[in-house]
Amino acid sequence: MALTVDMEAWLSRTRLVVCVGAGGVGKTTTAASIGLAGAARGRKAMVLTIDPARRLANSLGLSGIGNAETRIDLTGLGLEAPGELWAMMLDSRSTFDSLIARVSPDEESRDRILGNRLYRHMADTFAGSQDYMATEKLYDIFASEKYDLIVLDTPPVKNALDFLESPGRLINFMDERVLQWFVKPADGETGRRFLMSTSTVVSRLLAYVFGKDFIDDLAVFFQDFQGLYKGFIARNDAVLALYRDPTTSFVTVTSPTESSLDVATFFQEELTRRELPRGGIVVNQVHCCDRTEHDAKDPLGAMAQELSVDLSPTTAPALLARLGMAHRRLRALREAEQAQTVNVRAAGAGGGFYQEVARLDGNVHDLAALSEVGRLLFSPADEL
Amino acid sequence: MQRPLAAAADEVRGLLDARLVLVTGKGGTGKTTFSAALALLAAVRGRRVLLAEIDSQRPALAPVFGVEPRFQPQPVRDGLDISNLVWDEALQSFLAGLVPSRRVVRMILANRMVSRFIDFTPGSQEIVTLSALGDQVGRYDLVVADLPASGHAFSLLDITRSALGLFRSGPVRGRAEELRTLLGADSTRLALMALPEEMVVNETIETYERLCQFELISAAPVVFLNRATLPTLTDDERELLRRMSAVDQTPQQAEFLRAGRWENELEQGTAASQQRLDAMLPGTPVLVPPAQSGGRPKQAVGSVAAHLGRLVGVTRRELAWH
Repeated sequence: MALTVDMEAWLSRTRLVVCVGAGGVGKTTTAASIGLAGAARGRKAMVLTIDPARRLANSLGLSGIGNAETRIDLTGLGLEAPGELWAMMLDSRSTFDSLIARVSPDEESRDRILGNRLYRHMADTFAGSQDYMATEKLYDIFASEKYDLIVLDTPPVKNALDFLESPGRLINFMDERVLQWFVKPADGETGRRFLMSTSTVVSRLLAYVFGKDFIDDLAVFFQDFQGLYKGFIARNDAVLALYRDPTTSFVTVTSPTESSLDVATFFQEELTRRELPRGGIVVNQVHCCDRTEHDAKDPLGAMAQELSVDLSPTTAPALLARLGMAHRRLRALREAEQAQTVNVRAAGAGGGFYQEVARLDGNVHDLAALSEVGRLLFSPADEL
Repeated sequence: MQRPLAAAADEVRGLLDARLVLVTGKGGTGKTTFSAALALLAAVRGRRVLLAEIDSQRPALAPVFGVEPRFQPQPVRDGLDISNLVWDEALQSFLAGLVPSRRVVRMILANRMVSRFIDFTPGSQEIVTLSALGDQVGRYDLVVADLPASGHAFSLLDITRSALGLFRSGPVRGRAEELRTLLGADSTRLALMALPEEMVVNETIETYERLCQFELISAAPVVFLNRATLPTLTDDERELLRRMSAVDQTPQQAEFLRAGRWENELEQGTAASQQRLDAMLPGTPVLVPPAQSGGRPKQAVGSVAAHLGRLVGVTRRELAWH
């Protein structure tokens, strides 16, 4: 029999929760319910979402959440000593701009980058990929020390933990040796630097493939960017340290379907490989059906007769037959789900809690439903 | 009952007769299974089909057909090839089209600076991958592309637009222009996968609206409502279920009633989703019942293909493959 994990103890020692998983597995709902659970226990909690869709807003019962920190009204829940629940959507474009502002040594270099042609297109393109700047704003919010619990709802990433690597990708390229490769020492007359465009076959080819205009734009961009490099490195190191902090906890969220469990298994392996702190696994939308007897006539026949006197005479027997069939299907589904979770549990071994959260009747889109999810989530869990 | 089925059949035929079908939808909606089923059906109807997965690090199509994933198209049955368009091999093929010497291509690819450059340059991976897809369109009667989940798929397709701002000259810009024309062609169709769940339906509608807003696709999309449960409970049965659920129950009774409400919710969810998709998007949503597969991908493809086949008059036996 599996050992039990105290979910309350896990929450109380955790300051940053990063929810990862495939799309459509209730990641946002899990993130919001962890935030709400924290607030219900007197913490000042912030839930961050990168998702432009209205999922977080939906599940918090709001019509929308903007890019500003929004406080959620908890008065309807009748909590005894509530803390605070805040939510915010990360807008990658404005985050990128503020990142540039932060790492710029002076206003002049900031304005030069923000006005750079290539930067403007690049910021748009990165903004399109959404996850790029997730870590940036997260760090800001964390460093502000305004919250003692932060829950990050990550975008459904195609390739595992891409969002962890995105700052590194920029830095990799901004490596000073690379900059030197593209930028020649200053021309005395104009102060401009030139691309070493003809020095190697490779640079000629890049210019050919991507267009000389682009390579020229790039040279100007690098020139403008040089002063920012050190700031970028420092920033990236700080973000990575935050992810490795013992009070940080990565929670893998999945639903009990084969495809999302596959992704969750992959995440477990990746988190282990990167030595990131694993909090546990949450399996959402689990169907509950314990019994193997599928005949509804015996347990429900009398009740059905009694309650259907004013309805069509075939109603009771027809419904009882339907209930039996539905039960058979639900049971089969439950058994398939149990069989399918074996791999992810094995991959997660030694990595915290394993919690199944039963599917609720109806959609989760108010705080009451969210606190019900939280109640299930924070009941004792199995140990992985 | 006849009219909706005829409309669904027309929608499916529209895709089967296209030259390029882009399949996307929210994660977990069954894109890959559907893409495979559609490609299989088109091949059975006599077209030469390529089924392509886009830069998937975890290829899902090849295992369905029992082969190793490869960039180069490989036959899996009469008239049907599959390919995993990973970007590094796409880059190799892109460069090979521009640079005559293989040695030079190898030299470029081995250069550390180049890999960093491509890694960093926004959109370069996407353009190169889409370009590999575009290359195949002329070589087959139909290319079915299993795109990433809708958010990523949008970024991928949108690159054809943003690249025009980024690259002012050169072959990459030229490719972006060609791809934009290809995406905008009447023979390029979009298949959007949805599930009978409120949030999935909302995301499906949002995806379509964004694609329209940026004028990325011009032909009407076809929406598939996957794992649809057709309404079978009568009003009286639903009323009785409601009454029984409201009285005190033993745990055993509760479990049966929960099963009943689960099924009712699936039926109601399907009806509501169908109505909303019908109202918000052009065309008629096509219902696809849950695959009878026991969780096995190959059986799931067969089951969805059989359903689509029934709509257009192809039998299950004709669809068999090894």
